[in-house]
Amino acid sequence: MSSTNFSTRKLIIIIYILAGLLLIFSISTFLYQYIAALGSFKEVIKAFGNDRIITALWLSILSAFATAILALIFGVPLAYFFAMKDFKGKTIIETLAVDVPQTFPPIAEGMIFLLMLGPASPLHVNLAFTFAALVIAKFFISAPFVVSFTARRFREIRKSGINLTSRTLGANKFQVFTTIFVPMSIKDIAAGTSLCWSRAMGELGGSLLFAGVIPYQTEIIPTFIATQAQTLTIEALAATILVTTASTLALVSFKRLTSKEDFEK
Amino acid sequence: MKGLFINKLTSGYDNTVIVKDLSLNVKPKETLVLMGPSGSGKTTLLLTILGILNPKEGDIFLNEKDISKIPIEGRNIGYLPQDYGLFPHLNVIENVAYGLRVRGVQKDEIKKICEEMLYMVELNGFENKKIQELSGGQRQRVGLARALAINPDLLLLDEPLSNIDQITKLEVATHLKKLFSKLNIPIILVTHNNEDALFLAEKLAILIDGRIEQIGKLKKILTYPKTPLIKRLLRPFGKI
Repeated sequence: MSSTNFSTRKLIIIIYILAGLLLIFSISTFLYQYIAALGSFKEVIKAFGNDRIITALWLSILSAFATAILALIFGVPLAYFFAMKDFKGKTIIETLAVDVPQTFPPIAEGMIFLLMLGPASPLHVNLAFTFAALVIAKFFISAPFVVSFTARRFREIRKSGINLTSRTLGANKFQVFTTIFVPMSIKDIAAGTSLCWSRAMGELGGSLLFAGVIPYQTEIIPTFIATQAQTLTIEALAATILVTTASTLALVSFKRLTSKEDFEK
Repeated sequence: MKGLFINKLTSGYDNTVIVKDLSLNVKPKETLVLMGPSGSGKTTLLLTILGILNPKEGDIFLNEKDISKIPIEGRNIGYLPQDYGLFPHLNVIENVAYGLRVRGVQKDEIKKICEEMLYMVELNGFENKKIQELSGGQRQRVGLARALAINPDLLLLDEPLSNIDQITKLEVATHLKKLFSKLNIPIILVTHNNEDALFLAEKLAILIDGRIEQIGKLKKILTYPKTPLIKRLLRPFGKI
């Protein structure tokens, strides 16, 4: 009996050690940028004022916001469609629209957009190396977060039958969408949107290829870092700190808003 | 003639037939308790009357109007689902007001009706409470007030006492019975529990395998059960 207790204790300790190692790895990686900056504190602060970095940060934030807004406009209706409609081949279509983009190699996505909407576009639409290209590249990778989070909640609502109860009270399908599905899913929509925004802030491959790295026009923080990183400049470190801090602050604020009780515990 | 008339109704899901060639009528002020074991088609029948399921055959008339082809929101039927189906993001008065709001009723009128409904279910003073703060019995009464606020032509209740604990059940059932006596519409209440049926029924229908085996006044069915199975189902305080 006591040997069993001893083995159980040892196993539990191993679980905690594994958990602790992962925790240390994640947090130390995040914190190391600040530690690295301490050595050249003045230079890093000065780099924050660099025009090119400020413009790149502004373009990053703006394009990520545009992506998140578009993801809301198109993603919530698509989530409703997936949650409410049952049809043959739905699983394949949903996988292609929601799961595949999230795991798609971003650089390959950039290549496809370059072919589809670039100088040689069969549609005769050339959006390459523009702000629109930035948003499109980010949208493809990030919008599925809104769809998946929202669809999961919409399915729960459908399963509960609350939507049908509201129809018996006189609500038409559109009213059910606006008065039941959306308000009951606000937290999930906000969570999906915050992840979408953060993912859009950090997107690199698609933007690099499709939007290019034109300073003051299509250069965003991730592409700025990618081009500067080879020489490990102070500017690259400053840009890294800016993008990770902005994303983290946004994510934490959203989480605070959407799951108040977790933070209040 | 006013009331609900169901004529040779067959209904079910996809290729499965659950309710078979069923006919019944419920007059205004009449409470029909529909009792039957699980899987006998009680809920399927309610869902078909509501328009959530389409009948495979047969007609449903409500106050002389064929409602079979009318969409759910146009049938004007008050419905209390088994879990009451309350909207958790709305408070008590917003739940009660919901049906009126989506129908575009004036704000003053909504306020007046909601106050009347909450008074009727003895929940005045609970207007701004969250649904999560209410007991099972109180939630049921909010669901009822909400279903009645739209001034329905028919009231359907699916196992209204199944989520009420044994201690408060008698109180809740007495309140239900009192409320039914005030209503001037046909009422159908579905249950699988014979104790609930014996307490609430005025008129009773026994549903077995999608068909009505016996229908009539409770006393008559208790005195002359048509089959040994019905006799067994109605044995006092026995569970089905």
